[in-house]
Amino acid sequence: MAAPLTLLLLVAVTVRAALFRSSLSELISERVEVVSPLTAWKRVIEGLALLDLGVSPYSGDVFHETPLTIYLFHFLVDYAEVTFMVSVAGSSVVVTYLILFQFRKQKFALEADRYPLDCLELIRSPKEMYYIPLKVAMFYLLNPFTILSCVAKSTCGLNNAIIALFILSTIKGNVLLSAIFLSLATYQSIYPLTLCAPALLYLMQRQYIPVNFRRASFWWFIVQYAFMYLGSLFVIICLSFFLLGSWDYLPSVYGFILSVPDLTPNIGLFWYFFAEMFEHFRLFFLCVFQINVFFYTIPLSIKLKEHPVFLIFMQLAVISIFKSYPTVGDISLYMAFLPVWSHLHRFLRNIFLVSCVLLACSALFPVLWHLWIYAGSANSNFYYAITLLFNVAQILLVSDYFYAFLRREHHLTYGLYLKRKDGSEATLVLK
Amino acid sequence: MYFLLVYMYIKNHVYMFPDLLGCHGKCRRYLFCCFQDRAGQFFSSGHTNNWAVLVCTSRFWFNYRHVANTLSVYRSVKRLGIPDSHIVLMLADDMACNHRNPKPATVFSHKNMELNVYGDDVEVDYRGYEVTVENFLRILTGRLPPSTPRSKRLLSDDRSNILIYLTGHGGNGFLKFQDSEEISNVELADAFEQMWQKRRYNELLFIIDTCQGASMYERFYSPNLMALASSQVGEDSLSHQPDLAIGVHLMDRYTFYLLEFLEDIHPASKTNMNDLFKVCPKSQCVSTPGHRTDLFLRDPGSVLITDFFGSVRKVELTMETINLTDPIDAESGELQKEMHTYADQLPVSEIIHQKPKQKDWHPPDGFILGLWTLILLVFFQTYGVKHLKHIF
Repeated sequence: MAAPLTLLLLVAVTVRAALFRSSLSELISERVEVVSPLTAWKRVIEGLALLDLGVSPYSGDVFHETPLTIYLFHFLVDYAEVTFMVSVAGSSVVVTYLILFQFRKQKFALEADRYPLDCLELIRSPKEMYYIPLKVAMFYLLNPFTILSCVAKSTCGLNNAIIALFILSTIKGNVLLSAIFLSLATYQSIYPLTLCAPALLYLMQRQYIPVNFRRASFWWFIVQYAFMYLGSLFVIICLSFFLLGSWDYLPSVYGFILSVPDLTPNIGLFWYFFAEMFEHFRLFFLCVFQINVFFYTIPLSIKLKEHPVFLIFMQLAVISIFKSYPTVGDISLYMAFLPVWSHLHRFLRNIFLVSCVLLACSALFPVLWHLWIYAGSANSNFYYAITLLFNVAQILLVSDYFYAFLRREHHLTYGLYLKRKDGSEATLVLK
Repeated sequence: MYFLLVYMYIKNHVYMFPDLLGCHGKCRRYLFCCFQDRAGQFFSSGHTNNWAVLVCTSRFWFNYRHVANTLSVYRSVKRLGIPDSHIVLMLADDMACNHRNPKPATVFSHKNMELNVYGDDVEVDYRGYEVTVENFLRILTGRLPPSTPRSKRLLSDDRSNILIYLTGHGGNGFLKFQDSEEISNVELADAFEQMWQKRRYNELLFIIDTCQGASMYERFYSPNLMALASSQVGEDSLSHQPDLAIGVHLMDRYTFYLLEFLEDIHPASKTNMNDLFKVCPKSQCVSTPGHRTDLFLRDPGSVLITDFFGSVRKVELTMETINLTDPIDAESGELQKEMHTYADQLPVSEIIHQKPKQKDWHPPDGFILGLWTLILLVFFQTYGVKHLKHIF
């Protein structure tokens, strides 16, 4: 496992280094699909320059990174490319190992007798599972989205690394580290807050605490985790205050994420809608859009309480689609996890459509941007249509995997070839 | 000695003469006391130069007739002697070059295209969106920014007779400019009062061809104003016949008959204002034209049309030599040799030679200490030495 992984890392680093040195790097770092006002490298440099001039970097609507990022980049600004490559490589390694650990834990042999006989083909054998970590690493490292995001030096790569570390620490069962990494991820952008639920579910499962509202141990564990999480979040926020000596990073970072003042087009859904919004409805629709991210946590966690890893995947996907400033870097994170559920492919119904739409939209983004901004023969509606289509395709992908997962679970419980009471073949309908 | 009294029509040389006429005010008075009776008639009007401000306030193709109105009056005053330098022509839209004009570069005032009032030498001073209420009032009062060119200014003085012609869409007490703003009769009256107080006119003739035009001169209160309007309050000014080839109405009735009337005037005409008041009676105009002369000091019957519509200059040739008094001693201009020094406001030399020290920002030490302590704490908490062998 180490050797192919190293080879893969070498290839990925070469590709990125080649792109860094070429003339495409400036082009890519200006594309709105790859960088957002939150993650753009230009803004990081701007913030650091402001700091060197003695002005708060949050003055003026330029810099929206957290103070810890300032601290990190203050020393690493000359080695930025290396930093990002390291973070990407690191997150891929982390993800690989977490898949490995996850699979090592999977005691499928013990559970085999629980399932009906004809379902054996649904259960994965170690042989197929052997290459999945490598595939995940490959999906993450060689995904064009990740490459673009890394070459653009978008800080999304750092966010992804922190989330990957968080998932690793959750899977390894380390409650403290998981809480700390989650608080770091939440500190960077607010949305990983929703990953609390799957983390809790996984850790409770690992510690054999039953998920039952009436049990005291359930609540006690939640209190512990919440205490660690909130405590570390508090510590990090206070530390950030001491870095710059002022609280004005709070409205600049969190106020910016939540109130979406910057309506630069990106691949998300917020910009177009809020560009045409009347002022007196703005707050209402802002709440609606933001709640959309957090809303799916509770129902999904109720449905998937025995499968928290899949819940993490679903939640990451929901965050990437519905966050206020998505970029392709966020998409590449949850797409990296797709090989883990490659056994679901026999139940996936829309995979052809989704892949075609995603490819077509990715190709059309720069085309319609050029037509809109440079040629002037299109307008924002064209670009927004492609954005909508892209997000619809992502939602379809995610819901398709969800359906496939549930269907597999159903088959595992009730058998693969379903028969009605009178013996004829039955079909499964998702209600 | 004898004097030769000659009426000379100076068509295009007016700009040479203002100085002459100005400084010969004294001369004029000498001649006046000598030839009072003939001179009385000679200098009856009291003005020495003529100006015209012709404004069309309507946009869009279907308001062709307003532009044609204005251009007809422009053509008439130019023909009668007022040069372009003394005409401020404001047209809110360009009919001659409008896409819908089937005869480009022409503006006709009569059907069958008899009279092209656009001509070859029209000089529009304010065009398009420059025709605003603000610009109009600024022209009248003279409060223009210093960068305004002379062609866009009304450089009248207290010996100027000014003709002001407005046309467009109006209502009771207001005139609409370009479909977006209005000028009220009160504003106009105040503008004229400002002109009077700043001695910007000798006599002023105000003609307005809009619906309910008489309401616009109701509020005038400054002396030496005479006003004509095409319709009374509550009446609409109607347009004359449409031209089917061009597709719009070509002129308004009042201005059409005014133009017909003016075509018969030549620079030596003796027609007076009373004839002008009779232009376009109700039978022809459908609306009742009105006029106002109570603020005018002279009797309208003694006011010639050419006092306002033309630029009739009265010049007198004389063979008599007049001794001017000794010139005043010019002040011997001693050049005051005061040393002008500039205060050193920008210490350039200091800036060039001293680069400011670039102060880099460093995170505070407390922060670094705190952060790394925390990291170490967490590390030892999770990977405490005794637990290491279980993890790996």
